[in-house]
Amino acid sequence: MWYFRSPQIVYGPDSLSFLQTIGISRAAIITDSTLAASGIVQKVIQSLPENASSKVFSGFSPEPDFLQIKSNLEGVNAFRPDWIIGVGGGSSMDAAKIIFAMYEKPDLQVYDITPLSPLGLRKKSRLIAVPTTSGTGSECSWAAVISEREEKRKNELASPEILPDYAILDPEMVINLPRQQTVSTSVDAITHAIESYTSSWNNPYSDALSEKALELILGSLVQVVEGNGDIESRDRVHIGASMAGLSFSNSQIGMAHALGHAFGAIFKKPHGTSVGLFLPEVVALNSRASRERYDRLNRIFPDSFREGNLQSSLKKLFARIGQPLTVKEAGIGRKEMESNRDALVSLAMESTGMLTNPYEAGTDEVRETLERCYGY
Amino acid sequence: MPKFPSEEWARQYVEKLNSSEAYRDSGKKWEGDITFVIQKDEGNPTDSFLYLDLYHGECRKYLYSANPDDVPKSEFRYIGKYSNWIKLIHSEIDPIKGVLTGKFKLEGSMMKIMRFSKAAKDMVNTATMVPFEG
Ligand SMILES: [Fe+2]
Repeated sequence: MWYFRSPQIVYGPDSLSFLQTIGISRAAIITDSTLAASGIVQKVIQSLPENASSKVFSGFSPEPDFLQIKSNLEGVNAFRPDWIIGVGGGSSMDAAKIIFAMYEKPDLQVYDITPLSPLGLRKKSRLIAVPTTSGTGSECSWAAVISEREEKRKNELASPEILPDYAILDPEMVINLPRQQTVSTSVDAITHAIESYTSSWNNPYSDALSEKALELILGSLVQVVEGNGDIESRDRVHIGASMAGLSFSNSQIGMAHALGHAFGAIFKKPHGTSVGLFLPEVVALNSRASRERYDRLNRIFPDSFREGNLQSSLKKLFARIGQPLTVKEAGIGRKEMESNRDALVSLAMESTGMLTNPYEAGTDEVRETLERCYGY
Repeated sequence: MPKFPSEEWARQYVEKLNSSEAYRDSGKKWEGDITFVIQKDEGNPTDSFLYLDLYHGECRKYLYSANPDDVPKSEFRYIGKYSNWIKLIHSEIDPIKGVLTGKFKLEGSMMKIMRFSKAAKDMVNTATMVPFEG
């Protein structure tokens, strides 16, 4: 017995106009300060029904933490929204999920957001996610990552009840995404597709979604990254990224995410850059358990990037789009890396990504994999 | 082969757990006790309890009983019906999916257990390695 869970997905050009059709009267918009100052949030507000009131809550940094959630929650409670709309990358959508849960259940402690017990949400409001990057898949997932400021740790919260009711994938929201963010978020999406495909919880739904996600992303990514992309190629990458999100949300992730979360928390590097950094070496390690599945995915790579195995194809693609292949290329010096190595390995071992990784790696193998990514 | 559940099965389980390299590694920072609760159903007429005192990758003490008053109150409880336990130790139910699908219940601090999810998995996986008579 297992489930396939998905929000209702509205996609393609003009999909934001869907907001006019669902009877929104009070919309709390959760976003980060950079986006709030840009025209993107304005586009969402303009798409709301005419008589709807809205309030923007933008007191979130790119890596929101508990304190930011708490300080925004009061305002959300006072506003009494009937819809909560997360607009942004993974962090804003994750913040929206947590705000939604805590607005619904004021007595809830943030750590009570687990899939192991029912929360009883959706008594006052419902949740919409509007991604402005193509990669995190947060719009399709029932997980939320939140930082702990003092502890250099990222916490993974999850509950089927924080899965958004609607995910709106409007390519207009990503058409002007800067190159660097396009690269890091698409690398995240590629990592989702690959890790969920080989997760020990993989299933027919996640298989189909991962394969199609890779086909859509790999077929258009270089064009999009190099700025020659039209709205159609952006749209394909955007849809592909959400499919990869749906895939991992229904079958889990693996060791590249375990290492990536730890690396990102310690060195403050973007999530996609961090997970992608480890993906080729994790694929090499896991090959002893899932060679055949990796070969199948390798066949989806376009001729121009396909090498003899998935690890090499990934390296070739990453080099072309500017995704760092080593810790050194990611800008971390040897000394800094060495002094954080053990903390990083132990954080990675605590990550739920280790639970479903196809190969059961112990602490020593995780450390060796990390060291193979040094590049010094 | 021991019957499941029984004192002899519990003894062999603890022996396996204490010789498991995977568990010694993933549980090396864990401090806390847990009780496996095997609830009665048509396959087994009585509730059974296996209390485990776990410390730094090792089981320091265990107690098996059919009487709940015999076992100390523990920080965590992993609870399921006898027939689901049988499926679990046959590897037919994944221990975490088991909780997510309502076949098992986990009581205790979620915040703590999430950080030791690999240790918890290795602990339950060890149960699949003890031969038994159903
Ligand atoms: Fe990710």
